[in-house]
Amino acid sequence: MSTFFYMGGYAAFVWPSYALTLAIVLLNVLWARRALARARVEARRRLASQAGAP
Amino acid sequence: MAWTWFHRLASPPHLYAFAARATPWLGWPATLLILGGLYGGLVLAPPDYQQGDDFRIIYVHAPSAWMSLMVYVTMASAAAIALIWRMKVAHAVAASCAPIGASFTLAALVTGSLWGRKMWGTYWEWDPRLTSELILLFLYIGYMALRSAIEELQRADRASALLAIVGVVNVPIIHYSVIWWNSLHQAPSVMKLAKPAMPASMLAPLLMMLAGFTLLFGALLLVRVRAEVLRRERSAGWIRAALAG
Repeated sequence: MSTFFYMGGYAAFVWPSYALTLAIVLLNVLWARRALARARVEARRRLASQAGAP
Repeated sequence: MAWTWFHRLASPPHLYAFAARATPWLGWPATLLILGGLYGGLVLAPPDYQQGDDFRIIYVHAPSAWMSLMVYVTMASAAAIALIWRMKVAHAVAASCAPIGASFTLAALVTGSLWGRKMWGTYWEWDPRLTSELILLFLYIGYMALRSAIEELQRADRASALLAIVGVVNVPIIHYSVIWWNSLHQAPSVMKLAKPAMPASMLAPLLMMLAGFTLLFGALLLVRVRAEVLRRERSAGWIRAALAG
């Protein structure tokens, strides 16, 4: 197991590469979902204000 | 037949509903392929005979670099369709691409830099491949900055679409930079017509990661396009229908 994490002496380069890329993958999923959630909240507000107008 | 399908997608309510239904069909295979590719790349693939375990960076670097180019071509194509056929939803697609592309371009640059440190002895060099990829990052950032600087949506759409289309000249420059110039960066080892320069145990995880990232882009794009289409819509009827679904 420790040889796996040691990565033949390249741990300092391999693991940060994987960590950064996977962080960007997860952040993209989070950002996309948040964009949709925000657009839905905003659309609901717009509907409510249209309904409230005379 | 094909055209009615195309026209239906051009209508925001249909696109919204289609995107909602299609997202899991791309998202789940993407997740499985990426997890499989990670296991294959980190555990199953043997160390490289020259680079040792450092070569494993390829499994995150190459897919990120592939994303950076594929997303840009998608963005520029959507921008061109939007300008030529005055198709509003295509502007929504183009705008949705930029943050995805920018983030993966950054990943490609940083992972490449980490890989270069031991293999080339430097984190950075003003090399044709590295410089043109950095310009790609600036194109994405410029595109987003331009959009947010213009208040009126239609003008922002048109101006940013032009920038995206002009910037597409950088894509072949990036791809062929390693062939045209004497670059530090290696020539392509997968995307070439001859046999790939890798044994199957190394190649399979890479192909899984490339396919996984491509499907992931599809899923991310569908979610973002829904947000963008909803944000632009003024007709109460279909907003109500979209929110109900």
